[in-house]
Amino acid sequence: MYRWVEHIGEVELAITAESERDVFADALAGLADLLGIEGNGAERRAIEVSAPDRPALLAGWLEELVFLAEVEGFEPIELRDLELAGDTVKAAVEGRHGHPRPIVKAVTYHRLAFESAGSGYRATVVLDV
Amino acid sequence: MSELPIQRVDDELWEIPASARADMRVPARVFADDELLAAIEQDHSLEQLMNVATLPGIVTASLAMPDIHQGYGFPVGGVAATEPPDGVVSPGGVGYDINCGVRLLALPLDAAELGERREALVHEISRRIPVGAGGKGSGGGIRGADLDRVLAEGPRALVEDLGIGTEEDVRYTESHGRLEGADPAAVSERAHRRGAEQLGTLGSGNHFLELERVDRTYDAGAAEAYGLREGQLTLLIHSGSRGLGHQVCTDFVKRMSASLRRYAIELPDRQLSCAPVDSPEGRDYLAAMAAAANFAWANRAAMAHRAREAIATVLSRDAARDTRTVYDVAHNVAKLERHGDRELCVHRKGATRAFPPRHPEIPPAYREAGQPVFIPGSMGTASFVLAGRAGSMERAFGTTCHGAGRRLSRTAVRKQIDGAALRRRLEDEGVAVRAASSRGLAEEAPEAYKDVERVVEVVERAGLAARVARLRPIGVVKG
Repeated sequence: MYRWVEHIGEVELAITAESERDVFADALAGLADLLGIEGNGAERRAIEVSAPDRPALLAGWLEELVFLAEVEGFEPIELRDLELAGDTVKAAVEGRHGHPRPIVKAVTYHRLAFESAGSGYRATVVLDV
Repeated sequence: MSELPIQRVDDELWEIPASARADMRVPARVFADDELLAAIEQDHSLEQLMNVATLPGIVTASLAMPDIHQGYGFPVGGVAATEPPDGVVSPGGVGYDINCGVRLLALPLDAAELGERREALVHEISRRIPVGAGGKGSGGGIRGADLDRVLAEGPRALVEDLGIGTEEDVRYTESHGRLEGADPAAVSERAHRRGAEQLGTLGSGNHFLELERVDRTYDAGAAEAYGLREGQLTLLIHSGSRGLGHQVCTDFVKRMSASLRRYAIELPDRQLSCAPVDSPEGRDYLAAMAAAANFAWANRAAMAHRAREAIATVLSRDAARDTRTVYDVAHNVAKLERHGDRELCVHRKGATRAFPPRHPEIPPAYREAGQPVFIPGSMGTASFVLAGRAGSMERAFGTTCHGAGRRLSRTAVRKQIDGAALRRRLEDEGVAVRAASSRGLAEEAPEAYKDVERVVEVVERAGLAARVARLRPIGVVKG
């Protein structure tokens, strides 16, 4: 589950999830919401990201989706497969080609978090918009 | 009031002493009056300003302008000078939108002469300057430009290679649109790909094109030097280095984050990642940042060219030819500058260089007036043309504010403002509106911003810059 937290200058995405996989899925859903993407898509993209820790891996995941949206017009809609091993995430994302608005400039490291919380996980990412 | 130990220094300056936190190396200072300070204390920007005061090699103080608001890492409106070789450069201290800035064009006619052509001109400008939405081949960027030439040479490459813009435009651009040391090879392949189709595109968020009327002049001599008169039609262009600059910052925040331990740097916020100016990471960042800054100046030059094409279509070829660049200033950049007997790396994050009269870097025609500075307000309020003053050098490393400063988050303003209703209201007030989305329009409503007139009064009383002219919007294009 994701929600938007008040931030004066940018937008802050807060996620609570039962599994690490769901954190990545919710981050994708939050970004799609921000880019105004709805509906279905039949195009699949393979994504692979590595980073030294979980927070940086989450930032890298979103950076990859922002890059694909901006450069290739790929609108991410749904996470299909995800494999999380060590410092690497490999995933298949379903979406479609379109013209997403260039809203997100970057994924920042400010207040970046991805940690276990109770029986699940919570994460925070501030996006520069 | 804040629980932070903030003390009044004088009528326009407040200070949090370096003793407030064990990791602060210098005080944190903010220019503000009582009302602006009360607004500033509503978010976390002063804590961010204190975090900046921990950067290795920072000198004098971590400074903030009266339009400061919460950002990421640095606050927006922040200024920090570090002393090489050990002083650091921080990509977050420049921001993702490297050389986000403002260019002002002065048209050779009065707003009153536009008459019924106002709507057509705003429409034509919006049609010719795309927001640059994603998708290969669909971004609408300038075709045929040699990207590496643009990264190395800035807007001059467009003049020489494609006949876009003029030598005069280049002369009236901060640093002539070219930072020394720019190296296209320091810009990643991924950043090249993001920038390849975005030259001449506006972007989204708070970027805009605004057709304005010179509503009032305050300093007749400076206004005359800048070629501005009451009633005149102007166009303000606010944009930056687009995806190319965003990727440069992303690349170097990561790289410097990985090298912090090597330089024994401890930081309160990962976004402040930095490296000594005179280190491989620092030198590479400055080379890539300079290239991205040159791209941003070329981007605004390309948009100015497209605006002239719109003017030629709606008004006349003569009007397009006689449309002048007043000046083009950066407000997100780090520059090596001499202040007194020291060479410093001055980070300006949402802050504008404002050199005083007779500074050698000001174009000769403006040298007695001081460097022009443009302060956008918001769609329904005034914007200002200022001139740099001596106090900027004495108190703020040659810097002044860059805008009104946000006071409401995008979520909060959307709860208050309906985009369609805002559009009607602006049009009732005489502002023609073209916006990519109602949601984006609402997020940039005038209510989201502080009072720009108050911000400008503070920097004037503080001696950082002085008012030259006030501009009122009559048409706006939002990304």
